[in-house]
Amino acid sequence: MPHLAVRSGAQAEPPAVIIGGPPPLAGAVATYGNAAPAARDRDARLRSMVDRYIDFVARVLRNAGTPDAEIDDEVQRTFITAARRLDDVRPGAEKGFLFKIALNLAAHARRTLARRREVLAEEAPERNETFPTPEQLTDQKRMRQLLDGVLDRMDESLRVVFVLYEFEEMNMSEIADVLEIPRGTVASRLRRAREEFRERVSALEGIEQRARSLHLKDERKP
Amino acid sequence: MRTPTSTSEPNRLLDEPGESGSLERALLRAGSSYRTSPNTRAKVLAGLGLAAGSTTLLTGTAAAASSAAKLTWTKLLLGVSVVGAVAAVPVGYYALRHPTAPVSRPAASLPMVSDPAPASAAQDTKQDTQAVVPAAASRAAALLTEELGALDHARLSLASGDARRALEELEAYDRRYPQGRLQIEAEVLRIDALAKVGRKDVARQRAEAFLRHHPNSVLATRVRAHLAD
Repeated sequence: MPHLAVRSGAQAEPPAVIIGGPPPLAGAVATYGNAAPAARDRDARLRSMVDRYIDFVARVLRNAGTPDAEIDDEVQRTFITAARRLDDVRPGAEKGFLFKIALNLAAHARRTLARRREVLAEEAPERNETFPTPEQLTDQKRMRQLLDGVLDRMDESLRVVFVLYEFEEMNMSEIADVLEIPRGTVASRLRRAREEFRERVSALEGIEQRARSLHLKDERKP
Repeated sequence: MRTPTSTSEPNRLLDEPGESGSLERALLRAGSSYRTSPNTRAKVLAGLGLAAGSTTLLTGTAAAASSAAKLTWTKLLLGVSVVGAVAAVPVGYYALRHPTAPVSRPAASLPMVSDPAPASAAQDTKQDTQAVVPAAASRAAALLTEELGALDHARLSLASGDARRALEELEAYDRRYPQGRLQIEAEVLRIDALAKVGRKDVARQRAEAFLRHHPNSVLATRVRAHLAD
């Protein structure tokens, strides 16, 4: 895991420019740089991380393609992984640290899911979760599924930038920091990601409109 | 919303009312409005072995639950009134009529934070829904906090070396919450406690059974470590 989360040598670094520069978490200051941090501080720091970032972690996982049914486990896994390396995390760098863990786990979950789909394709499907009937499917859920479809087709490197900018409202410098790429690259990836996003959405819009007009015609029939 | 740091930071797509279509906005909202349930939080804390103990959690969770629910509803209602385009009306309507959680495990029976729950209660007035949602969410949060507290007693007993007492507390947990949300976490503690009171064979059997049933659980690593000892 890159330097973002890890203390680098003996340099007295200023607090890193990490994602919005939140105030230090409880326990973070006491823990940092202390060879034997008090368990209580550690617990307090972990708890603050959970409280502050649990939704962020869940969104990152979800928008990186982790299925709904696995979000709970993956959120838990993210924090457990973070807890194991908590002493390496610079105060203020928690969000970026969690982000990277979540992204790795999401990639892993996607690969597992792809393998499982291959197996399921040869057998009878066990459950119907991914293809609910229209009655079960509210519009809210449907939007989520459509978004999954759009994001899923986007190249990973574009999607990450898109998600962090549009959904997490991070600015370009923050994204450049956390992904360790130049700011110019962030800008160009965002531009391409937006183009792709809009293309796919207008394609979807066409399909939606056709479906709606068909539906209206059906309703008018006696 | 953070102010862009330089002029080259374009507006967020959601902040461009003039340009984006209603489907685009609905999709963008779907991506940014994702929230976790109190259930997820409780599981994360339990998985980290963090104490629930204090009342802070109870009030904290309930408060978080109700404010998150309010936020979601505000956004939803805002979505209906602001967008107003053809496609957005059914979105808002369906959401009111068939409220479901954007984040949910299909198996979870607890209402989620953003689950406005009983459809019958989701009448078309804002006040009604807002009154009902936090009540359901706080009940769920309170129940989870209770469970977490019960498990926490067992965890603390175990940590202080009183494994026998931990076992009693875990039995009490089972009796009190036969359908508990934290059964898996309880089982891991039980395996640990059984080994510590010297019932290593039973601990091993249960550990093996646990791994058969939950091979991919986050806690499987902990159980495997027990088996390796």
